[in-house]
Amino acid sequence: MSIADQALTDDLAARRDMIVCRGVKKWFGDFQALRGVDVTVKDREVMVVLGPSGSGKSTLIRCINRLEVHQEGDIVVDGVELTNDTRNIEKIRSEVGMVFQQFNLFPHLTVLDNITLAPIWVRKKAKAEAERTAMELLERVGIPEQAAKFPGQLSGGQQQRVAIARSLAMEPKIMLFDEPTSALDPEMIAEVLDVMKDLARGGMTMMVVTHEMGFAREVADRLVFMESGDVVEVGTPEHFFTNPKEERTKLFLSQIL
Amino acid sequence: MSEITAPIETRPEEPSHTAGRWIRDNLFSSVSNTIQTVVFSAIVLGLLRWILGQVFSEDADWSSVATNLRLLMSYNYPTEQFVRIWVAAAAIFLMLGLSLGAWGIDPGFSVRRSARTLISTGVFALVVRLLLPSSTPDAIAMAMIVIGVVAIVIGGVVMRAVPKSSDRRVSFTAALGVMVGLVLAVVWLVPFGSYGVAEGERYAVPGVTVASSTKVPWTIVLLLVFFAQILGRRLGVSVGSVIRRSIVAFWVIGPAFIIFLVLRDPSFDWAHVWSTDVPMAAAFALGGGALLYALGRPGRDDLARVVGALLLALALFHWVAAFFGWYPMLQKARISFLLIALAVLLVPTFAGERSARVRFAGAWVGFMVVLHWLITGINTPSTLEISAPPFLGGLVLTVGIAYYVMLVSFPLGVLLSLARTSKMPIFRVMSTTYIEVIRGVPLITVLFFFSIMLPLFLPRGMGISDLAAVFAGYTVFSAAYMAENIRGGLQSVRRGQYEAADALGLTTVQRTTLIVLPQALRVSIPNLVGQAIATFKETSLIAIVGGFDLLRIANSTIPNQPDFLGQKRPGLLFISLVYFVVAYTMSKSSQRLEARLQAGQAR
Repeated sequence: MSIADQALTDDLAARRDMIVCRGVKKWFGDFQALRGVDVTVKDREVMVVLGPSGSGKSTLIRCINRLEVHQEGDIVVDGVELTNDTRNIEKIRSEVGMVFQQFNLFPHLTVLDNITLAPIWVRKKAKAEAERTAMELLERVGIPEQAAKFPGQLSGGQQQRVAIARSLAMEPKIMLFDEPTSALDPEMIAEVLDVMKDLARGGMTMMVVTHEMGFAREVADRLVFMESGDVVEVGTPEHFFTNPKEERTKLFLSQIL
Repeated sequence: MSEITAPIETRPEEPSHTAGRWIRDNLFSSVSNTIQTVVFSAIVLGLLRWILGQVFSEDADWSSVATNLRLLMSYNYPTEQFVRIWVAAAAIFLMLGLSLGAWGIDPGFSVRRSARTLISTGVFALVVRLLLPSSTPDAIAMAMIVIGVVAIVIGGVVMRAVPKSSDRRVSFTAALGVMVGLVLAVVWLVPFGSYGVAEGERYAVPGVTVASSTKVPWTIVLLLVFFAQILGRRLGVSVGSVIRRSIVAFWVIGPAFIIFLVLRDPSFDWAHVWSTDVPMAAAFALGGGALLYALGRPGRDDLARVVGALLLALALFHWVAAFFGWYPMLQKARISFLLIALAVLLVPTFAGERSARVRFAGAWVGFMVVLHWLITGINTPSTLEISAPPFLGGLVLTVGIAYYVMLVSFPLGVLLSLARTSKMPIFRVMSTTYIEVIRGVPLITVLFFFSIMLPLFLPRGMGISDLAAVFAGYTVFSAAYMAENIRGGLQSVRRGQYEAADALGLTTVQRTTLIVLPQALRVSIPNLVGQAIATFKETSLIAIVGGFDLLRIANSTIPNQPDFLGQKRPGLLFISLVYFVVAYTMSKSSQRLEARLQAGQAR
């Protein structure tokens, strides 16, 4: 059994592969950020990626929608392999939602326009339809009354919820979260995590880089622990929080819990 | 939660300080401050006194300006054709008014602030009255006192009536109405003096208002702005997106029509246009469009390639025939044949569903219309080619050159800045070289190059008019500076914006036009307006390559007229005022624009 398939329950194993990373390596200059990562994310699975800073976890999920370009190994997203073919990349990006640590909302557009922009221009939806969907999504993340405001007028938690709604508007098959709560004030973390839990319950395939252990324990199907660009251990939350195998995992968990 | 809310204290009333208190606190708070105040007031007042002395000196013959107003405005533009300039001006002002109204986002002016401005204006008028030299006509001295007192009284009454905490605003419409009304009142009532014509010579008629041929059109144009603003506001509410799109379309296409309107030859041959140019454009546009639509149906790729190859052969044969002179054919027909052949060869790439075919054929039709219109326009004899004496000059030339230079150099600057920040080395190197070379060369050199050297490099038989050459020179120069200003804005857009756009699957073009440029341009506004003002003032260099702009008329044309020999001062003072008013308006509007854009996205 390869490391990528560790801790697969029978139920998960039977599902389709949504993200497959095989031997992914990535260098920034001379620094090797990823040292041959093997990870498989199954359909409707929630995978949480843990690790100390600099362990390459953000780099890994940024490689999956090609915000970073990996130099060796294969990444296959929903059956499409990531290559330099621009059409492939755009197709994958439009089906993989991404939520950033710094929200990265478009400051010159209203909340509503932030959400409808991609559906209108990439999916070629009619404006009225896109706006209807956007309002439903704002309803879902709990801030329909903010639709006409600009991002700069919202709190961090609200902005991050708008960012999630913006990604969902593209009806993605996969959602990537790159430390979605790390830039938030403590009292706003819960509101964002609630939205993410909702999504997970709705059956979204998710890959989440986070330090929120409560979220990981409650929602994740599997956890991945990375260090120095390597996948150290993969397992269920139960396995991780009760009986981790590797020394490095134990050390990390003891520091963070 | 409500029970633990702390009681809210009301903010203490700020002590209302009087004008005397303000003066003491800000101007005479300490010994050094007092010295500074006294010294700098003396310098400013002395300077003002000197300027007023120049304006109202007995040597200054202001009838040199009044008589030559027409010269200063449009130089030798044929009088009987003036209506064309007025129509062009009316079109621009009409659309200006509509734009102001249709977007309708100007918040108007704070009442208290306006009142304060009014009071300071009044004080300034009284100060001017005190500094007027003794040679000043009594009427002007009297007018200063009246203006000063009236402004201070009105301002004071408003200040008393409106409480300090009030944020009442004068609507933009009302403010515009007041401004238009003031200008019209001045034009119709103040005896600036006019001119008469006797035996072919113009002479000054002091003591009357501006000639009707000037004030009637100006009245119409200014009223147009006012009512168009109201109309635009109405339409903006009822059919917002339609009217806004039409206005944008006008600003993009309009200038080309206006330049055609102002510059075309009065004895323009419409018959040729209707009998040849229009039918040919229609034939290529519609025939080609139908062909492209038909060949774009899925499964006709091979047919399209065969037809394309045949058309290409035909098109090339036309060029060979032209080379040997076998049969006559208009050049643009040959060009169009070549283009339709290439378009047909492209069909397989764009073929597909009905909507895709409609779009492709539509693009062809639009392209043909624009191309034929441009070719026709270029080949149309225009007043540009009337060589001597130059007929267009003055303010129309100054504003016209500045306007078109900005219009063309702005998109060029955007492209250059994008190229300079591009990842593709060939674009980057080309753009950087261009920008650095142009920035390293004085504007005068560029202008000389375009007006004197460029014609030497052109193929034999191809000429370029002086005006077009100068225009090209300014554009090339201005584009390089615009590019650098916009690059500053591009660099301020954070990386996360690019990543967010990428992550949503936007293409590079969409990312640039929808996300990056709107943010970058917003940041660049102050610099871009600075560049626009610089361009506007630099148009005075046209004089050195033979153009008759405001400066040259004031500095050499008027002082050489027999009636006004050596009269430079009034003309120069007058054009300074004109330059200042235009530049200040641009600067102020850009500040309002900035404030408005910022208000939308406060961080």
